[in-house]
Amino acid sequence: MLRLDHLSKRYGDVVALADCSFEVARGALLGFLGPNGAGKTTAMRAVFGLVKPDRGEVTWDGRPVHMATRHRSGYMPEQRGLYPRMKIARQLAYFGQLHGMSRPDAEASAERWLETLGLSNRKDAKLEQLSHGNQQRVQLATALVHDPELLVLDEPFSGLDPLGVRDMADILAERAAAGNAVVFSSHQLDLVEDLCESVVVINGGAIVLSGPVARLRAASPHRYLEVEHTGPTEPWYETLPDVEVVERQPDRVVLMVDRDADPEAMLHAARQAGTMQSFAFTPPSLSQVFVEAVDR
Amino acid sequence: MRGGDAGAMRSIRLVARREFTERVSSRAYQLSTLITILLVGGLLIIPSLFDNSTHYTVGVVGDPPEGLAAGIEAGSSDPETTVTIQHVTDADALRTAVEEGEVDIGMIDGITVVIGPETYAELNGLVMAAAGSQALLETAARLDIDQQTLTDLLSSGPNVEEIEPDDDEFARSVLAFIGTLVLFVSIVTYGQWVLQGVVEEKTSRVVEVVLGAVMPRHLLAGKVLGIGALGLVQVLVIAVTGFVAARMVDGIDIPQITIATVATVVCWFVLGFAFYASGYAVAGSLVSNSEDAQNASFPLTMVLMIGYFVASSAFGGDNPVLRVLSIIPPFSPLVMPLRQVSGNAAGWEVALSVALMTAATAAMLRIGGRVYAGGLLRSGGRSKAREAFRGAEI
Repeated sequence: MLRLDHLSKRYGDVVALADCSFEVARGALLGFLGPNGAGKTTAMRAVFGLVKPDRGEVTWDGRPVHMATRHRSGYMPEQRGLYPRMKIARQLAYFGQLHGMSRPDAEASAERWLETLGLSNRKDAKLEQLSHGNQQRVQLATALVHDPELLVLDEPFSGLDPLGVRDMADILAERAAAGNAVVFSSHQLDLVEDLCESVVVINGGAIVLSGPVARLRAASPHRYLEVEHTGPTEPWYETLPDVEVVERQPDRVVLMVDRDADPEAMLHAARQAGTMQSFAFTPPSLSQVFVEAVDR
Repeated sequence: MRGGDAGAMRSIRLVARREFTERVSSRAYQLSTLITILLVGGLLIIPSLFDNSTHYTVGVVGDPPEGLAAGIEAGSSDPETTVTIQHVTDADALRTAVEEGEVDIGMIDGITVVIGPETYAELNGLVMAAAGSQALLETAARLDIDQQTLTDLLSSGPNVEEIEPDDDEFARSVLAFIGTLVLFVSIVTYGQWVLQGVVEEKTSRVVEVVLGAVMPRHLLAGKVLGIGALGLVQVLVIAVTGFVAARMVDGIDIPQITIATVATVVCWFVLGFAFYASGYAVAGSLVSNSEDAQNASFPLTMVLMIGYFVASSAFGGDNPVLRVLSIIPPFSPLVMPLRQVSGNAAGWEVALSVALMTAATAAMLRIGGRVYAGGLLRSGGRSKAREAFRGAEI
């Protein structure tokens, strides 16, 4: 289990991490969310010793992370980069070896990953000769070539086309299913909601939300009511207590109401306004939970 | 961070091997090695391909003195001198031949010497001496002087002592000059490779992936070792080429490259390269693009150039500036080998110089390693060395 334990880090007056703590269990696929500049990259770098926290520590299975742990971990930094003029098979084998694999093992694993990613016919190509999408694939393979127990990926979905997104999501889910601890940051919250059971949300260097997505959504003090009529309606909802209009079209409205609001009363009011096409009373989506948590 | 020494050695070895194998197969390296071989071999072999032995033609009217040609050949400073005696019909024809340079000098009846405007002083002297002896013999015969008296008369004269130039010293100076040049060029060239390599890792951002698995000081050490090995291979190629070429032509003007010279150059290359390459790596870690890299590394290149110019301007000589700089790091790797190969350095000077340079290199690796670590993950513009040193996280 990976644990970030009360990490704090300042750069001059800028607080990058403020008592940041969270855990990633083996077999878990954790979404690490936060607006830009919230401290995601700093926290991920701290796992690999690239940032030395002012306070707190990072542990793996209860012991401080050291080089041997890092060799069993895969890292995909936000700023992608590999050796532009190195052949990709050699490049993967090199990173495998840097992470402690023997040369034959590393070469065999590199071969396998290129096969998996559909690049085996390009193994002698230099990285710079590949398309952007294929370079991204090699970058992912670099993080995976040594079969890590822990996978830390900073914005793995950014810049991918829909097929790339699907492949990446499949691989991350497979790794977690195989018992590895996987944590990744992303701004694509709908994707995170589909993919991850749990998320943590960081803002201003501190964890502001964490837990299973379903629980976070349920725990929100708000509910969303989306009602669609067959034709234009009067603003029928104005008589309801504590209602905030989120979105309004002549025949459709999205309302934010209190968690404890009575759906029956609202259904009744909606019926009075005309013939309904749909009526949905739901907890907020992850996106909405996220915005509620960080937009204060 | 614990990692174990074995892990550290393994990381350094892997990094060094990548640097070596990726570059040794590059066209730039192969081309520069080939050019170096051709250059060094050519410089040593080509002069000997030209026949530069001396040849004299002596025009004669009547009988020349006995053994004239042999006398000139024996008396010439060039042991490979050859002489042709060319008979001319009469004195006027001879004068014309000398004037027009058809013959180098003329001799009439063994006594009269005809000297032209371009007659070599050496030839002139030798022919004059032969004519003088001939005249002396004829006069002796006329005066009825017997052979014994004549021999006694001829053998009286001044005693002459001649001090031969020390060919050896000259050869050593040439060798020292070449050695210093090789050192300077290798350290600058491969230092620049280290600089470019560091900048490339930074600009391509691969360094963050690498540093996830390797400590910065091990990355630095591996890089310097791998590229240093390339430089060392090239220095040895130069030495072997010189060694073989010098023995192939076996001329007196060509300095014989000795094992001791090669060992001196190699040792100073190792010490000097470790220092300067670490410096270049640090300079590279502080910048974000190649243009800035040249500026950041300029002070280092300047120091190297000062060392080189001080060393090469004192061809064969020794002076107080040279003596001081040969001991003080980081000038010593360029100045001391010159003095050593020239045979001017005392044993204690070499020992002190090596000790100081080793200490300086160790300090450079330590301080430089930290600045390097601090600079690597910074991006955008140029960082200050002091900030990078303080801000070193890893």
